[in-house]
Amino acid sequence: MTGRHAERVNTTPAIRLTGLRKTFGALTAVDGVDLTIRPGEVVALLGPNGAGKSTTIDLALGLARPTSGDAELFGAAPIAAIREGRVGAMLQGGALLPTLTVAESVALVASAHRHPLSVAEALERARCTEIARQRVSKLSGGQLQRARFAVAVVSDPDLLFLDEPTAAMDVEARRTFWQSMREFTDAGRTVVFATHYLDEADEYADRIVMMARGRIVADGSPAEVKAVVSGRRIRATSDSPATPSARAALLALPGVRSAERHGDRITLVSDDSDATLRALLTAHPDLHDIEVTAHTMDEAFLALTEARDTEGALS
Amino acid sequence: MSIAYLGRESLRQLKNMRSMIFTLAVPLVMLLAFGGTFGGAGQVDAATRLPWIVVTTIQVAAYGGMMAALSQAFQIVTERSIGWNRQLRITPLSGTGYLVSKLVAALALALFSILVIVAVSIALYHPDLSMGSWMLAGLGIWCGVIPFALLGILVGQLAKPEFAQPLFMAVFMGMAVLGGLWVPLQLFPAWVADVAKAVPSYWLNRVGQLGALQSGDAITPAIVLAAWTLALGGLIVWRYRRDAARG
Repeated sequence: MTGRHAERVNTTPAIRLTGLRKTFGALTAVDGVDLTIRPGEVVALLGPNGAGKSTTIDLALGLARPTSGDAELFGAAPIAAIREGRVGAMLQGGALLPTLTVAESVALVASAHRHPLSVAEALERARCTEIARQRVSKLSGGQLQRARFAVAVVSDPDLLFLDEPTAAMDVEARRTFWQSMREFTDAGRTVVFATHYLDEADEYADRIVMMARGRIVADGSPAEVKAVVSGRRIRATSDSPATPSARAALLALPGVRSAERHGDRITLVSDDSDATLRALLTAHPDLHDIEVTAHTMDEAFLALTEARDTEGALS
Repeated sequence: MSIAYLGRESLRQLKNMRSMIFTLAVPLVMLLAFGGTFGGAGQVDAATRLPWIVVTTIQVAAYGGMMAALSQAFQIVTERSIGWNRQLRITPLSGTGYLVSKLVAALALALFSILVIVAVSIALYHPDLSMGSWMLAGLGIWCGVIPFALLGILVGQLAKPEFAQPLFMAVFMGMAVLGGLWVPLQLFPAWVADVAKAVPSYWLNRVGQLGALQSGDAITPAIVLAAWTLALGGLIVWRYRRDAARG
């Protein structure tokens, strides 16, 4: 490989979506998505049902035709990358044939590819060796997902799309699945997975793209995405009575965005918890049992999608 | 397109015992029933100048081959409804390649069906017909099955899962009855026999008889079957292009 070729490979994005829109009649499933994913990134597409994740994946793969905008894989039309066997996918509603065994399914798909892995190798990578001779119709939910993973990796792809790969898996099965995924991504390959398991996105992706209502509402590292809502929660117990002036005093503290009181328990949401806390301790010596917590992914998610909804309602 | 894929797809369908039994059970029962009735006594059918048992075997083999070929309809409808074809779209297999794989599988299943029926007939009834004539009869039927494979693919493309069964039955019954594959056409009013000459199943049967006779007018069946093949092929391509354009 020449240096120039290596450079081109490194700078060509694995995925480039430009102004992507897809409408189904009156419904806008994907509403102007711009997204560039570099080779080697592990990206979580996070969002509730109906956020447009699956449609975005379909458009990126060229399985659906965009109403407007453009999708490219490795700098060319998706079909070109697919024909070269550079793309693998576990899709929504992409099942295996129930009458085949796992090994037969993998072999059948392998025979459609030009330079596939050996069937044994694909089964091994997906932790399917023990279930190789089982019929697809007899598999448990978790086993079925593993079998689908084996089918997705048999072309030895550079880019893998996984649409809710761990749905129907128990905790142990999920762990096993992500282990085999790690091996795949450690080799420098690109993975995009859709999920609504927030902990999964946080733990396994190095980048999170949050979608709501067909749009990207946040995009960054898990830490950055959490910082978008930038909030930390300060909770404390107050012994003084609840008065409007007391509330106003709390709201006047630096960084405070909101203040709530339930009984003697006060909750402040702050953009700058350090400054808030210093001022709080000085001005309100009566407060005790103080705790500061970061927003969880769930809270970040709710805050972002709600913000988007409110915006939508206003416009 | 990958030859390995075509082979594997056909082989997997042949290995699907349940559907093969479903395909072969009815024609074999028909063979045993009719064969038992007309027996190996060697009566000759006046119209075709072939032994009755040969006429019956050809009729049943045509029925079996037609059924095997048409059954691609179910295959395609099932694959569409469970999303297997979505999985295949993430491979180098093109849409055309997918359809070709179904055509090849249809012909493989039909050939298997024809061979089994002829073999059972020969084993049980020892009909008075040379191997060469059997080969030609089988080959004739096998070639004549092509428009039925296309018809099965078209039904598979068109039918929604909930309508696949009735649509298949309507097509299948119509073809079997009108082509005289179930009951000899002589039992129907004359106009039915006239209508029969327009359907491919009539000529499928006829082409088998001509093969067994090793003589006669092969041009008419060839023209009718080729016309059906072209028309159905055209419809499949049209439908496929429309689906692709919708995406």
